[in-house]
Amino acid sequence: MKKRTTKTLVCDIILFALCDFYCAGSKLLFHGCRSRMMNGSWMNCHWAEQAVFAFGIVLAVLGLALLVLNDPGIKRGIALSMIPAAVVPAFIPNVLIEIGCGKNMRCQAVMRPAVIVLGAVIAAAAAAYLMINRKRTDKEQ
Amino acid sequence: MKLSRSITLNNIKGRPVRTLVLVLLTALLSAAVFCGTVIVTSLHKGLRSLEARLGADVMVVPYSATTQQSFEDLVLQGTTGYFYMDTATAQKVLDREGIGESSQQVFLATTSSGCCSLPVQIIGFDPETDFTISPWIKKSFGGELGFCDVVVGNDLNAFVGDKLKFYGVEVRVAAKLEKTGTSYDTAVFTNFDTVRELIRSSMELGLNNFKDIDPDRSVSCLLINAADGYTAEEIADDINIHVKKVKAIRAQDMISGVSKSLSGVADTVSGLIAAVWVLGTVILLLAFTISINERRREFAVMRVSGASRMKLASVVMCEAVIVSGIGSVIGAGLGALVLLPFSRAIENMIGLPFLLPSAGAIALYILAAAAVAVLAGAIAAAASAFRVTRLDAGLVLRGDN
Repeated sequence: MKKRTTKTLVCDIILFALCDFYCAGSKLLFHGCRSRMMNGSWMNCHWAEQAVFAFGIVLAVLGLALLVLNDPGIKRGIALSMIPAAVVPAFIPNVLIEIGCGKNMRCQAVMRPAVIVLGAVIAAAAAAYLMINRKRTDKEQ
Repeated sequence: MKLSRSITLNNIKGRPVRTLVLVLLTALLSAAVFCGTVIVTSLHKGLRSLEARLGADVMVVPYSATTQQSFEDLVLQGTTGYFYMDTATAQKVLDREGIGESSQQVFLATTSSGCCSLPVQIIGFDPETDFTISPWIKKSFGGELGFCDVVVGNDLNAFVGDKLKFYGVEVRVAAKLEKTGTSYDTAVFTNFDTVRELIRSSMELGLNNFKDIDPDRSVSCLLINAADGYTAEEIADDINIHVKKVKAIRAQDMISGVSKSLSGVADTVSGLIAAVWVLGTVILLLAFTISINERRREFAVMRVSGASRMKLASVVMCEAVIVSGIGSVIGAGLGALVLLPFSRAIENMIGLPFLLPSAGAIALYILAAAAVAVLAGAIAAAASAFRVTRLDAGLVLRGDN
């Protein structure tokens, strides 16, 4: 089995940290509005938050797998699967689930931009990981 | 030239930790300058928009409204609420001397609706006499508002052609206002006929209490411009002395509190930018000085190998400009990535009128912030470059100095 280089290890740790931050942040930092409607039911942003959190869990598991596993091919596959897993949740608030609040509400002002920005950062980091790893494999060949 | 460039690039690549620290420092400088400038500009733009949004010299409201804690928030920050006076009282105000243009408005706070899970403020105005809201509406809607037509503020999640329901009455979104950075962004505007219908419907649902005032003969506020030869202060004083149960407030007095808070925040942010800039430049200066001191032998070898003093200085300056250039672009980019998507969260946190500059202006600020950070790096490196030109290669290589 090939030994992991320092560069790959740093990339693994960065992606793992970003995915974990995304997962925890979707519940603790950039969550949606916590108030309920007058009839006691949850607002749509609550369900959008739950959906984003579900993707966050997937990303966290992928990040952990990337850190633990050592096979370059599997790692590249994991990094590749991170891209759609990070990009799709960016469309959850307001596109897939209409959050329908005033734009000054927390779900519009904090949750939506955070999901978009963090998703883009993770997707960019995963793409960069693929590039770095591809270069290394080319050199090895 | 080629050799000098390769020496510079190799120096940058060869010391990754030093390069990373310098890049981070300049990124911090550039991000601070960009974010600070955009925040201060947005606050000033928001205040100018607020001044224009008030649009009248004097606002007259029922006296009881001014004793409510949320009165200023309602007028300036978009908090929902309502208050009414009867039209006879309003007429007494309009009969006073010195009244130029005048227009009436009716406020109504809704419960939830299709566009919002939380209440929104409905402002009814008379298109015939209005001179404060119409100029804003005309920017995005050229026609006339019909019965049950509304214009929504920019921050509301409703679009032209959408049907909304307020108190069981279905209304059509005829237009959406441009962003104003004020309470207009979360309000709904409609004509008097529609707002009276909504009030009637709300009363049937038992959701509004008009006490002893007839809802068909009530207004929330009067907006007045002074006639020629009169000042806003004279009119406000005259109304306050001669008309009971109302309070006339000068627009200037109303925004003076916001203006003071805004200048306080703007001064703090400007002070922080200056502090970060000075601190960053000093740290860069120290970093370059230490780095050049460590590399004295390297420069001495280059000097005895035939490099001119100018060549040595240009190597130092090129390194500084490249490193600070990379850092400044990263910093300004990160600043934009954080500030622009989260501008609404920042606006909510500051609680002051906040209107982002145009895309062109923001691009200009990014360039300016990057240029300022590169300039700081160049200034910090200039002293080191000067010292390198004064280097005595013989002494350094003998190890005497």
